[in-house]
Amino acid sequence: MKKQKPRVAFFDFASCEGCQLQIANLEEAVIDVTKLVDIVSFREVMKEHSDDYDIAVVEGSIMRPMDEERLKKIRENAKILVALGACACTGCVQRMVNQWPVEESITTVYNKDEALKDNPYFANFETKALDEVVPVDAYVPGCPIDRDEFCKVLVALLLGKKSPVPDYPVCVECKKKENVCLFELGKVCMGPVARAGCGAICPTHGAECEACRGYVTHPEEDAQTDVLTKYGISAEQIMQRKSMFTYRYIEEKAKQEVEE
Amino acid sequence: MNTKSKRDANHENPLRIASKKDFMALVDSLIEDGSLEVHGVKSKGTKFVFGLLESSDELRLDYDVTVIPPKKYFLPQDESMMHFDTSQPFSVQANEDIPKRVIIGVHPYDIVAIKQMDTYYTDSFVDDLYVKRRKNTLLVGAHVARVSEKAFFGDMGTGMVDSGFDLMLTDLKDVIALEVGTTAGADLISSLKTRDATPEEVEKIRKAVEKAAAEARRGLKTPPDQWSHLLQGNYDNPVWKTQSEKCLSCGTCTSVCPTCFCYDVNDKMHLDMKTGSRIRTWDGCMLRSFTRVGSGEIFREKRIDRYRHRFYRKGEYLPARLNFVACVGCGRCSTQCIPDIADPVTLINMVTDSSQTLKPPVPHAASPVTVEGQVPDDTGPGLYIPCPATIKRAVQLSEWEKLFELELDDGSALDHEPGQFVEVSIMGYGEAPISVSSAPGTKSFELAVRKVGDVTSRLHALNPGDKVGIRGPFGTGFGVEELKGKNLLVIAGGIGIIPARSLINYVLDHRKDFGELTILYGCKKPCELLFGDEVQAWDKREDVAHLRSVDSCPEGECWEGEVGLITCLIPLATFDPKNTIAIVVGPPVMYKFVIRDLMGRGMPEENIIVSLERRMKCGVGKCGHCQINGVYVCKEGPVFRYSQIKNSPEAFT
Repeated sequence: MKKQKPRVAFFDFASCEGCQLQIANLEEAVIDVTKLVDIVSFREVMKEHSDDYDIAVVEGSIMRPMDEERLKKIRENAKILVALGACACTGCVQRMVNQWPVEESITTVYNKDEALKDNPYFANFETKALDEVVPVDAYVPGCPIDRDEFCKVLVALLLGKKSPVPDYPVCVECKKKENVCLFELGKVCMGPVARAGCGAICPTHGAECEACRGYVTHPEEDAQTDVLTKYGISAEQIMQRKSMFTYRYIEEKAKQEVEE
Repeated sequence: MNTKSKRDANHENPLRIASKKDFMALVDSLIEDGSLEVHGVKSKGTKFVFGLLESSDELRLDYDVTVIPPKKYFLPQDESMMHFDTSQPFSVQANEDIPKRVIIGVHPYDIVAIKQMDTYYTDSFVDDLYVKRRKNTLLVGAHVARVSEKAFFGDMGTGMVDSGFDLMLTDLKDVIALEVGTTAGADLISSLKTRDATPEEVEKIRKAVEKAAAEARRGLKTPPDQWSHLLQGNYDNPVWKTQSEKCLSCGTCTSVCPTCFCYDVNDKMHLDMKTGSRIRTWDGCMLRSFTRVGSGEIFREKRIDRYRHRFYRKGEYLPARLNFVACVGCGRCSTQCIPDIADPVTLINMVTDSSQTLKPPVPHAASPVTVEGQVPDDTGPGLYIPCPATIKRAVQLSEWEKLFELELDDGSALDHEPGQFVEVSIMGYGEAPISVSSAPGTKSFELAVRKVGDVTSRLHALNPGDKVGIRGPFGTGFGVEELKGKNLLVIAGGIGIIPARSLINYVLDHRKDFGELTILYGCKKPCELLFGDEVQAWDKREDVAHLRSVDSCPEGECWEGEVGLITCLIPLATFDPKNTIAIVVGPPVMYKFVIRDLMGRGMPEENIIVSLERRMKCGVGKCGHCQINGVYVCKEGPVFRYSQIKNSPEAFT
C-alpha cells in the first residue's frame, strides 16, 4: 500500500502574507514539494480547505484574543506546527507597537471611534510571536523567508532531523560571499548578531542587515553596542535599529532584568 | 621543438622576461582555450577578490590584498564531499567534479599559507579531497606591488618564497618577469616569447620585493619564532579577557584567514528525499556553535576561551605540531574585524608588553613560518568515504540506549583496539563518532548508542538488515598490550561504561594475562544501568571485584548497590594504588573528582588513564572541532594518560 503523504495546511495571522507568497513562488521546487506532501489548505493558491492536517504552517503574529483562540485550535489539530517568517517567529515590525500602551496605539490609529468598542476585530493586545501562545516545533525565520530554507526545514521535519536553521551570525555567510564589510563602507549592519541562513542576501546587495531573522542564541550585544558607538551611532539610533525587527529581544531583556 | 631542453634551460635560468602585452595575450588564450578555468585577482568595488577571469583586462596584478584568501580553491566555502542515494541499500559516490584551474596573482604570503595547508591536510591522514583540488590547480604567484595598510608580512618573513608556485610574476610596468617554479609552470608559458632577465631587471625585482617587505612591517615586538614561547607563559594574561570582551563572535577573523582550515560537515537531502550530498563548509573556532555536540553541550562556551584558542592555535599548537606559525601577516583579520581585536601584531605586542614571564630566549635558527609542504601522488581510498556495514542485531538497553551488532559488508573484522571509536554514517542524517563497545576478536562489532542527535536518533529507528556507513576505527585505545600483567581499576560513569566495556570484555576474554580487575560503575538512576546481565555476571565471578552506585534511587525502583556519586565507591574498593592502573571513563564533570580521590588514596598520576569526549566530527584531525588546547582528541585521544593531558586547561573544565 502506498504510504500516505503528510497533509499540510497554511494559515495566516497579522502579516503581509508575503512568506506564503514565497512558497507559492517556489517555481519548479513546488512540484517536488507537492510530491512530498498533500497541501490541503492554502488560501493564496487554492479554494479548498480542510481541517484534517498533520503539519500547520503558520504565518503572522498574534495581536488579539480571537487570534489566540484560533491559533490554539490550529495547534490542537496539527501534529507539527511551523512558524513561518519573522511575524510568526518574533513578531516582526508590528512588534514595534509594543513600545507604547495598547490603548494609546489604538486611539492613535483609529481615533476614538465608539463603534470599535466591543468589536473583537479591534480588540488588540500586545503583539506576540506564535511561541508565546502555543508550542512551536520548527521555525522558518526571515522577512520574507528564504525559499530554499523553507524546503530544507520541510525535509528536516520529514526526516525527523533537527532544525537546519543556523545558529551563527550573518557575517559568516557574508564573508563566504566575499563581500566587502558594510562597516568598511561606512554603513551600519546588524550582521554580527543576526542569525544566518539567508546567505547574507542584503549585505550582498549593499543593504544593511536589519536582523529580520532574529538574533543568534547568544548575541554579543554589549560588544555590538560598543562597535555601533565607535561608528558614531547614537544610543537612540541603536535603539531604533534594535526595535525594527528585534523588539522581542528588548522586551525579553527588560523582563529578565525585572526578574533578576 | 624539443620542449624538454627548453624546460631544462628555464630551470637553469628561471627568470624570464616577457612583454606585458604578450603575457596578457597568453592569459586571454588560456581563457579562450577553456581546458583550464582561469582565475585571477579582480576588483570588487574598492577591494579585490579571486575570481574567474573573463578577460585579461580584469586581472589586477597591482592589488594589495583580497577579501578572502585563495584557500577557497582548495577548501571551498561549501564543498560536496560525496553524493548518496538512499533509495539503494547503500550508495555513496565520491565527488569527482574537481575542475582544473590556474590561479593568477597569488601573493607570496598566501603561497606560504597554501604550503602550510598542504602540510596540515596531508599530516598523518591524507585528505584526498584537498589533494585532488590542489593537484588540479596551477599557482601563478605575483610579488606584492602594493602593500595593504594592515599587512605585516615583512614582520613574518613571508614577503617572498622560493617554492610553492608554478610561476612567480613580477610586474615591471611594460614587461613581466616570470620565475619558473615547476615544469608545469614552464609548460604554461612554453608558447610565450621570453628572454633572459638582465642583471638590472634582477636587481629591480630584488629591490621591489625588499621594498614591499619593508613597508609591510608594523613593529611586531616578538618575532614569530618566539610566539610559542611567549604564549606558553601567558595563558592567564589579562589581555585575553579585556580583548575578548569586545569580540562579536562573528567568525570574520577565521573566515578571512588563509591559515584557518577548520570545517563542518552536514548532509543535504534533496527534495526528492532520496538523493543528496554530504557537504563540508567553512567553520571557525570563534563561533559559539563550533564545539557543540549532539547532546547540546558546548565544550568551549566562553568567549575568552574561543578568542584565546585562535591565537594559541596559530602561535603555539600548530608550531608544536607541524613546525610553522599559522599566521602569514596578510592583515585580512586586522582589516576586517569590526571591533578591531583580531590583529595579531596588536595582540602579540600587548602580550609582550604585559608578559607574565621573563623576556623570551634567543630565537631559533630557522624561521618556522615557512614549511616545505609535500603533496603526495597517491591519496589512497577516499578518507571520508564510509564502508557499508549491516546491522545484525539491535537490542534496546534502556530508554535512551540501544545496542547494535554490525558487520562490515566486505567481510573484514573491524580490527579495533578497546577504547577506539568509529564514525557512523547514515546518509541524509550525517555522521557521528561512536565508541566501540565490544572487545576485538570477532567478525562483528558492537556499538551501544545513546539517542541524542540526528544520526543517533535515526540509528535507533533502524533494524537488522539495514545498512549504515562506517569509517575507522579511529583514535587511541586503552593500550591493552601495556596493561597486560597489571592490576586494573575500571571506573565508568553513565555511558562511560560503553567504551569501558570493550576493555572489560577483552580482559575477561584474556583473563590470565591481567592482574586484579576491579570495576566501579555508577549511573544516575537504576533504570539507566546498562548491560544489566553482564553486570550481574561480574558479581558472580571470583576473579572480578565490582561495586556499583546510583546518584539517587527514585521511589518504586529497586537497587542493589550504593547510593551516591560514583566517588563514593572509591573508598570502598580494595586496590593497591601504587600497583594498579585506573581507567576512568565518564561524563566531563566526573573526572576532576574521581582523579582527586584516586590521588588522595595514593595513586600516582601516571597510573591514571582517561577517555575524553569531544566533538570528533572528522575523526582524522582535520576539521578542528575536538581540540583540547592543541590536542586532537580524535587522533591523540580519546584515551589519554592523565599525566599527558593534565596541564591542558581545557581538558577537565
